[in-house]
Amino acid sequence: MVIFLTVILILCYFTFDAAKNVFRADWQFPSDDRMNNQDQQRLVLITQERDTPFWDKVAKGAKKQAEIEEVSLEVWGSYSHNQEDFLKNVEIAIQSKVDGIIVQGLDTDEFKNLTKIKASFYGVPIITVANDVPIADSLRRTYVGSDQFSAGKMIAEQLVRDMGSKGKVVLMLESQEEYFQKQRLKGIEEILKQYKDINVVYAKTIDTTKEQVVVTTQDTLNKEPDTNAFIAINANVLGTLVKEISKRYQIDPYYIYSFDDGPESISLLEEGTLDAMVEQTPEAMGEQSVQLMMEWLNGEKVPLDKNGYLTDIKIQKAENTNE
Amino acid sequence: MNSIQKKIFLLTTIVLIIMSVIWIALTYYNHKTQQQYNEILQRYLKLNEVTTSSQNVITDINNYMIIPSEENMSQLNQSKKRMEEAKQGVITLRNEENNFTLTNYVHLMDSFIETTNRLLLFLSENDSEAAAQEFSEVTSISTYISEMSLSLVDTELKTYDRFYRGIIKQSGEVMKLGIFLLLLIMCVLFLVTYWFSLTITRPIFKLTQAANELSKGRFDLQVKVETKDEIAFLARTFDRMRKNINMLISEIKHKAQLEHELQQSKILLQESQFKSLQSQISPHFLFNTLNTISKKAYLEGSEETSDLLVSVAGILRYNLKQLDRSVTLREEIMVVRQYMDIQKARFTDRLRFFMEIDECCLDWKIPSLTLQPIIENAVIHAVEPNEDGGTIWARVIDERDTVLIEIEDDGIGIHKDKINLLLTEDSQLVENKSKGIGIGFSNVVKRLRLFYGEEDVITIKSEIGSGTKVIIQIKK
Repeated sequence: MVIFLTVILILCYFTFDAAKNVFRADWQFPSDDRMNNQDQQRLVLITQERDTPFWDKVAKGAKKQAEIEEVSLEVWGSYSHNQEDFLKNVEIAIQSKVDGIIVQGLDTDEFKNLTKIKASFYGVPIITVANDVPIADSLRRTYVGSDQFSAGKMIAEQLVRDMGSKGKVVLMLESQEEYFQKQRLKGIEEILKQYKDINVVYAKTIDTTKEQVVVTTQDTLNKEPDTNAFIAINANVLGTLVKEISKRYQIDPYYIYSFDDGPESISLLEEGTLDAMVEQTPEAMGEQSVQLMMEWLNGEKVPLDKNGYLTDIKIQKAENTNE
Repeated sequence: MNSIQKKIFLLTTIVLIIMSVIWIALTYYNHKTQQQYNEILQRYLKLNEVTTSSQNVITDINNYMIIPSEENMSQLNQSKKRMEEAKQGVITLRNEENNFTLTNYVHLMDSFIETTNRLLLFLSENDSEAAAQEFSEVTSISTYISEMSLSLVDTELKTYDRFYRGIIKQSGEVMKLGIFLLLLIMCVLFLVTYWFSLTITRPIFKLTQAANELSKGRFDLQVKVETKDEIAFLARTFDRMRKNINMLISEIKHKAQLEHELQQSKILLQESQFKSLQSQISPHFLFNTLNTISKKAYLEGSEETSDLLVSVAGILRYNLKQLDRSVTLREEIMVVRQYMDIQKARFTDRLRFFMEIDECCLDWKIPSLTLQPIIENAVIHAVEPNEDGGTIWARVIDERDTVLIEIEDDGIGIHKDKINLLLTEDSQLVENKSKGIGIGFSNVVKRLRLFYGEEDVITIKSEIGSGTKVIIQIKK
């Protein structure tokens, strides 16, 4: 009898345990948000390069600001300069009638078409961030980011300081130069032309794919074996460039400069491979772009400064440089 | 309703209720799960509906552009309407996770419809180039819509991931619950059924036992069943029957005893009659002879002898005639006197006899020949064996509601055991060697008891060495 009762008690325990598990509603439908948030303004940040340190910071800053402004913000992006994807994203954003688009500028006709015609047609304001496209071509509201011209100047000055007023400098360019690259180039040239002994060589790659960069780098190294310095105007080529150089020579004797918006820039600087780079303030860009967009949308600041709102830049030198 | 039936009914009801509760709970749970599944499925279907309807619109536009007929137009309008409906359906899918995308999605559909309208406008204006451009636009938007549908489904999957896993886990738990519940109910029902059957069979078992005892002839055991059902009723009835049987048996016993007593008294009477007949040797002859001898003795001057002979004749007559009748106490006393006269003649000075008679009590009825045998006993046991003889007292005393007749002697006394033997009437053997006129003491005792219907009509008080006292108590 006692055994029987014990069995019943044990069974009771298990039954109630199972019943508790069954009827405990620990999995709820996600809260139904039909009414809420519907009037919230929607911003989209569209970039060409996702998951690079630079753009992560931009996104972080933008999200922070969006939270303060109480708007919803999504970051869309394509990987490794997939222009088709990027343009599609921009188009979807426009067709989706978002309240504002913050976009990494792309200096191509398709992009300009989109921003100029379609965005205006749908009445979607666009702010370019980090990389500008001139207002005449894109009808952007404003630009938030670094002054690329002075960034070019700064890096050139640093080069001169490090290398001296004599030497051969290779500028890595894209043959299809974007607006921000042109600006940088202009800044660099502005400085370097003051020094007659500095020989500037232009190495143009067709695009920033690995194969092309490899080809260009090898070609340059073949043609110009006595090069002293490299400046990667587009930071995206940096990784491949450094790898290619190190295949032939010691990397240390070369002065290599670039900007911080490439995927490998920061790690290379920490390694000491990169001698210096221009450090921009991506978080500030994100924050400020969202802030300006909201101000424009709320009619607090009309019109926005067409020349853009510039964020801080500074030279970041490698800590264990060899001098 | 009957109690056992009620019990069975109760058990069945309880089982039914338990089963129903479980069934209802499971059905409810099933229904709930089904609803959740439906809701989930509907979400996907709604998203899919958007894609399908947008593609339909494109097909219809294409058809219309090729053949701009009325029929194709209405087809197109229908598709557009369907698209609108799909849009309304999608709006209800909004939640925290997909809020942003869903708004985009809805706006994308708006753009789609707007572009379609624009396209139709261009067509109506015969601006085929612009129309072609818009058509490519519509197509691309449709692509975006289907892509976004996929991404929404993706989001949906991510959002509901935990939910889906919960459902899967829960179905496992339900299975577990089912098994445990089944086991539990089985055990409990087993226990309850055991207990329940016991409440029915235990009284029956008791009853069976009682019946067994009864059939063995033990009528004194009480049949006791402490339930409230039919078995208890049966047991009560059974018990009553047992009591009745008991009563009947005791009655029969009583009757048998009475019959036995009656028969005995008859036998006793016959015995005494037989004995008296034995001694009835031509009574008239004996009387006449005795009277003749008496007169002869009287004439010869022997008056004492004459008186003795008269007494003997009197006793003889009394003995013969009046044995089966009741007589008055007076007559009995008379006989005692005559008997004592004879005995005095025999024992002379050795016998001292005293009488104290209350005259007013002499009319009470008494069986004949009761006092004489007692006196005779006293003479035999108190006077005869003693050289100095003995004293005998006979008293008739009037008490308030009884008449006391005492016969006392100062003889050797009677032992207590013997008194008991005498009074329990089984002493015929002892009395066989009676030396008297023949009627034994126990015969007297029996006749007295039968006559008065009382057990304590006669008592004997005796002490060894100092005499015996026989007391007859007659209730007035």
